[in-house]
Amino acid sequence: MKSYAKRYPLAGRRWRQGDGWSVLLLAIVGSVAASAFAACPPTVADGAKLVKDGLQLAWRPVIGGSPIAATAIPMARHFAIEVQVCSGATPSGATLASLDATMPEHRHGMNYRPRIVAIGDGRFRAEGMMFHMSGRWQLEFEVQSAKGSSRLFDDVRVR
Amino acid sequence: MTFGFADRISRLLFLGAGLALLSGGPAAAPTIEFTDEEIARIASHGPWPPDWQGDPGNRASGNPAAIRLGQSLFFDARLSANGKLSCATCHQPRSGFQDGRLTARGLARGTRNTPGLLNVRHQRWFGWDGGHDNLWSASLRPILDPREMGGSAARSARLLNASPSLACHYREAFGKPPTADDPEFPVNLAKAIAAWQETLVSPPTPFDRFREALTDKDAAAAASYPQAARRGLRLFLGRGQCATCHAGPLFSNGEFGDIGVPFFVRPAGVDPGRQGGIKHLLASPYNLLGDHNDDATRGNAVGTRHLRPEHRNFGEFKVPTLRNLTLTAPYMHNGSLASLRDVVRHYSELDEDRLHSDGERILKPLMLSAGEIDDLVAFLETLSPPAPPQPPLPPPGALPCPARR
Repeated sequence: MKSYAKRYPLAGRRWRQGDGWSVLLLAIVGSVAASAFAACPPTVADGAKLVKDGLQLAWRPVIGGSPIAATAIPMARHFAIEVQVCSGATPSGATLASLDATMPEHRHGMNYRPRIVAIGDGRFRAEGMMFHMSGRWQLEFEVQSAKGSSRLFDDVRVR
Repeated sequence: MTFGFADRISRLLFLGAGLALLSGGPAAAPTIEFTDEEIARIASHGPWPPDWQGDPGNRASGNPAAIRLGQSLFFDARLSANGKLSCATCHQPRSGFQDGRLTARGLARGTRNTPGLLNVRHQRWFGWDGGHDNLWSASLRPILDPREMGGSAARSARLLNASPSLACHYREAFGKPPTADDPEFPVNLAKAIAAWQETLVSPPTPFDRFREALTDKDAAAAASYPQAARRGLRLFLGRGQCATCHAGPLFSNGEFGDIGVPFFVRPAGVDPGRQGGIKHLLASPYNLLGDHNDDATRGNAVGTRHLRPEHRNFGEFKVPTLRNLTLTAPYMHNGSLASLRDVVRHYSELDEDRLHSDGERILKPLMLSAGEIDDLVAFLETLSPPAPPQPPLPPPGALPCPARR
């Protein structure tokens, strides 16, 4: 069993000059690291951006682990969508409750049910997407936050 | 950019028209020109053939010994209960591995048209209802099904052990002797047959050469593509909306649809199509979520894992490839349409009352003229090779083992 002093080396120690700089430095490093990881607000690299109810949602298609442009989603091939939900410059704490897609003119949706996986810091991945026909697909994101449920929509044209 | 090509074609047309006027002869029918947008869509139906990619779920995929074994077994009637039916009885090489019948005939009469096997390796779902998510599982079912070949693991093991050549191929492919009590044995046989079927790729067609000429901007090579086929291709891409489902190099999105073909079967019953296929698939121990999938990552099981059964699946059947159609009449899941002209007429006169109320909304009668029907048929005919592919037919048992590599 370690002594109390070894387990808590700063306990009871007097504040020294220089400690303030260390704490500030740690705070800056921590803040930069956190913001780089969280990447809020979304950038162009995070994909198409939707805004509603104080939330910023960015989404981008991914195939084989690599992001692709929304205009390049291939027809009849499985892909994933990575989603980031921000509230200003910080992750919103909201969760992506569901993601689905329909063809309004055809009056049907996908033949596959995506599964949402949280990948940390306000990011989610919807796996198992497929647009099996050419034409307009409408994406529907359902986001659950402290304010309630928000539905955000975006259109994709598959050729 | 395709502008230069289109521009060149226009100039050639202009020159041709001028020459016709100078010669005093009748002006030739105008050549169909495709827009850049159309050319991009035409390009999406190739290149052909696609690059080889082995099946990660089949350890025998691309294995020469397994391919030889699979080829021998495919033509071997001794696998069947009556010793008279092989896979090739219904899947006949000279007919694009189809049998020309309305519905298949094994030990009993089937209710569905035998699907052709050329390019089968590129499919996602197998069978008209997609009841299989892999080719080896789809190859095993007819061997064991009492209505088709009625075979068994014991019968197959006896066959292999009585044939030094077949047993040798099996040992080379799977590293152990064939034994009926090995639960992997029937699956391995099916994987060998699948490995052979993966080699059945049809040659390039007149359409493929035209597509290549367009993408290469080779006006001279493109010129040999018939005008009627060009008009049909434009209809296919445009007003017909055929390419909405008949997409990509296979001319199929690999999914399912209800296009108003009756699903009643004699004497009394219905064929549930995709709805039944999904039930069968998810209950099968041979699907890609099961233990027999050789892809340890299960990365090849995305489709099965995410399947979403829907009410509209009832009466849906697979969107078939349009390649090699001239070899595989009759058409549709029940073989009810005898000719390509009948198929085009079906879409022209579509019975909307027959379609699902929650089905595909863009399906409307195309109301084609007689000339437009001719054009679409002319186009579809260019998706088949001018001559049937050479059937791969070494006699069963004549293949050497150990395999010469």
